[in-house]
Amino acid sequence: MIQNKEYYFHTFAVERSVMQKLVEEALRSGGSYADLYFENTTYGSLLLRDGAVTSGGSHIDYGLGVRVLSGEKTGYAYCESTAWEDMLACAKAAAQIASGTADVSPYGTPNPSRGEPNPAADRYPVRESWRETPMSSFLPFLQQMEAEVKSRDRRIIKLMANLAFQMSDILMFNSYGELKWDTRPMGSVSLSAVFEQGGVTENKSVSRSFRCGAEMLSESLIREMADEVVKGIDERFAAGRPKGGQMPVVMGAGASGILLHEAMGHAFEADFNRKGTSIFADKMGRQICPRGIQIIDDGTLTGNRGALNYDDEGVPGQKTYMVEDGVLTSYLHDRISAAHYGVRPTGNGRRESFRYAPIPRMRATYMESGTAKAGDLIAEVSKGIYVDEFSNGQVQIGEGDFTFYVKAGFLIENGRLTRPVKDINIIGNGPAALADIRGVADDLAVDPGAWTCGKEQSVPVSCGIPTVLIGNLTVGGE
Amino acid sequence: METIDYGEEDLHKVMTDNTLHSTLTEAEMALARHCLDYALRSGAQKVRITLSKSLMNLVGLLNGEVDKTAHALDRSLQLQLFVDGKYGAFSSNRLEREELEAFVRSAIDTVKMLEPDPYRDLPAPERLAKDAVSGRELNLYDPAYEKLTAADRRKMALASSFYHPASGKEVSSAFPRLIAEEGEYSDSVFDSLTIDSQGLFARHTETSFEIGYESTVEDAEGRHFSSYWWDATPRLQDLAIEGCARTACQRAMEQIGPQEVKSGKYTLIVDTECASKLLTPLLSALGGYSLQQKNSFLKDTLGQKVFPEALTILDCPRTPGDTGCRLFDSEGVATREMPLIEKGVVKTYFLNTYMARKMEMEPTVEDATRVKVLPHGACKNLEEVLQKVGEGILVTGFNGGNSNPATGNFSYGIEGFLIRDGKRVHPIREMLITGNFIGLWNNLLIAASDARPCLSKLVPTLAFKDVDFSA
Repeated sequence: MIQNKEYYFHTFAVERSVMQKLVEEALRSGGSYADLYFENTTYGSLLLRDGAVTSGGSHIDYGLGVRVLSGEKTGYAYCESTAWEDMLACAKAAAQIASGTADVSPYGTPNPSRGEPNPAADRYPVRESWRETPMSSFLPFLQQMEAEVKSRDRRIIKLMANLAFQMSDILMFNSYGELKWDTRPMGSVSLSAVFEQGGVTENKSVSRSFRCGAEMLSESLIREMADEVVKGIDERFAAGRPKGGQMPVVMGAGASGILLHEAMGHAFEADFNRKGTSIFADKMGRQICPRGIQIIDDGTLTGNRGALNYDDEGVPGQKTYMVEDGVLTSYLHDRISAAHYGVRPTGNGRRESFRYAPIPRMRATYMESGTAKAGDLIAEVSKGIYVDEFSNGQVQIGEGDFTFYVKAGFLIENGRLTRPVKDINIIGNGPAALADIRGVADDLAVDPGAWTCGKEQSVPVSCGIPTVLIGNLTVGGE
Repeated sequence: METIDYGEEDLHKVMTDNTLHSTLTEAEMALARHCLDYALRSGAQKVRITLSKSLMNLVGLLNGEVDKTAHALDRSLQLQLFVDGKYGAFSSNRLEREELEAFVRSAIDTVKMLEPDPYRDLPAPERLAKDAVSGRELNLYDPAYEKLTAADRRKMALASSFYHPASGKEVSSAFPRLIAEEGEYSDSVFDSLTIDSQGLFARHTETSFEIGYESTVEDAEGRHFSSYWWDATPRLQDLAIEGCARTACQRAMEQIGPQEVKSGKYTLIVDTECASKLLTPLLSALGGYSLQQKNSFLKDTLGQKVFPEALTILDCPRTPGDTGCRLFDSEGVATREMPLIEKGVVKTYFLNTYMARKMEMEPTVEDATRVKVLPHGACKNLEEVLQKVGEGILVTGFNGGNSNPATGNFSYGIEGFLIRDGKRVHPIREMLITGNFIGLWNNLLIAASDARPCLSKLVPTLAFKDVDFSA
């Protein structure tokens, strides 16, 4: 959502001349680049628990972050007021990093996009603003969702439905004179059900999250989430742990994109490579997985949780091919790492809020479809595991060892899905797993869940993948 | 190698000005009281307000040079409203009087549109803390904070670095395989005041000083291994800066040369640095929100012997000077020392006023504050544990994984060492442990007495028998 420039100037009580003066103050100690990040975020939430929407609230977060760069060094400070004296103190604190002599490193090409933000190119248009729609109108959505879910399965003994929404006004200005603005919406619905069968309890959660307005709260969303929360619960009760060890793993389409996020995405974030800690630090231009594979980090998917008109450094959102035909072709850059590598920033400079300096982060990370059929990939496996429901993952950047936690899946025996499995962790090594991709199906799906990446700061992301067969990963078990 | 001249005079002025206002001022506390009165006048029957403020300074290093600095001042007012039998929670960092009044009016309108909740209420007055008046009763505020300059912070950040010439250490001779070293020094002061419409006044003030290093080393084949070391304390003089970078580097070097180990059942030894990973799910399972939603593997176990006689876990929230201690919880309820698990018996559920009323049980406190696992098995430290168990797998870090709160089943990635004859044989990687928390803790062999004071939970080195390892 892009409003007119005056709206942002009014929200933050600033004008261009004020921002220009502030940037000059920030550079007074000799920094080579400075930028300002104004943020006004309003949050709202409603929680249905034990049959009623009895909890709700709203929150306001407002402030300015000032960053000063000296070479590749960062000085950062923020304040929660846009009164001149507070902003000035903030700029002086950020200027600490400067050495007294200006560094000449260019932080990306000045004016990476010409002109003002264009509402016609908005990647998250809003039909019903979260700010302007009365919260009371959201209650029926949650109440209807509860009724719909409970009608699907009598084993449900507890149900919680949560609606969280936010609108963030962002105004960015830097020492190149670039001025960008944006209003980022986000709506998230999560559903958590506890089932009881024969004295045994099981839980299941689903979520949906999009950059859009309150128009997302539709009857079709209720039906979709109700279907998903009860789907597979019989198998959940019947599921056990497999015998642990190394085996082929078929990653189902959609949420299995967590593999890309953990196994390679973080290792491609250029700050880790700039510091020399990433296992992919010297792999640029090399074949890192089989030919025919494309892996992308994309900020251009309309309404996607990871979509961005501009990143948090004012660089236009864009689609970045990290791997083309199996070859590593690009890291994910913010302005600092782009300057270090002598390339253009890729629009990956992101931050949790004005309280944080931006760092390279993923947006929507996925692999393009291949040509195989999902059923054929499963049929290739004589003894292995199929996984398609996850809760979290992690990676050790230096070693490249990644893990992800599987909420549900199936054993594969003689090319067929047999017994259900649950609650297992899978571990592998990023470069090894990439090189060990045996087949890619033609069914790419980007998961619509509320994924959040927690590298130093929390930012919304999404992930996707077609069904993929990996030759060998270590599966936890008994 | 480059050193940095900050322009000390300007910087000192900025930092001094901010330091003077780093704790809550009388004006800010008066604003909180005004906000409470205004909410009552505007239609709320009961109100609780928490006003908090924090100031943080950080110096980050990359390979012995200052790579980043940060300075952050945060203020927030949290508002909990009880209006016509309904409840809502709100917060704002826009603390101008007119802005807050508009925010309160809007919040009350929001609460009015919610459904009634008969279980919401303030705590009974006799349960509230009455001994947290100055905020400094627990001796967690170090006045040394007020005298720190930017130069002091830079000096402390650099003091341990292997790359910095002033450290007098030679990187190439001490650790030839070190390829990257990141360090960070930070300090902060946190001040909060909680008041409510029945007279609660509870203040907590603390300082914190932290140092941390992460080192990445390379083996002969170019493979990378990383590890870290850190310390944190409320008092600057107790901060263990010296040796921090060395320990991080040693821990990274120890990981070179990992070998595969066969899947099977092994004795699990988990060092104190990461042992809390195995305790946190137990504490979550004792929490009211999980219990009330029947999403806890410890539901209906209060008073029952679920764990072995060897296991006793206490909450000790009132030890003066001890990291993380608090005299009151988020409702303002006075904390007290109490057993959580005593000789295997579940003794405490964490029930705030709301959850206690919903579950028709006696309220306790919102959450654990300063958890302590009592020793068992007569071992002081890790080395004695290794000698005693002889063989097994020592876990020094976890890599991902999770648990099922309803069943207690877990699966975690691990890193560590194969142990034979009480000694580390070689590092291991790409291994997992899998099991159930009730079963795991019933196989507790040893709880040493070596928990580091900087840890938020005082969990020592632990040993468990017959744990499933996958490789």
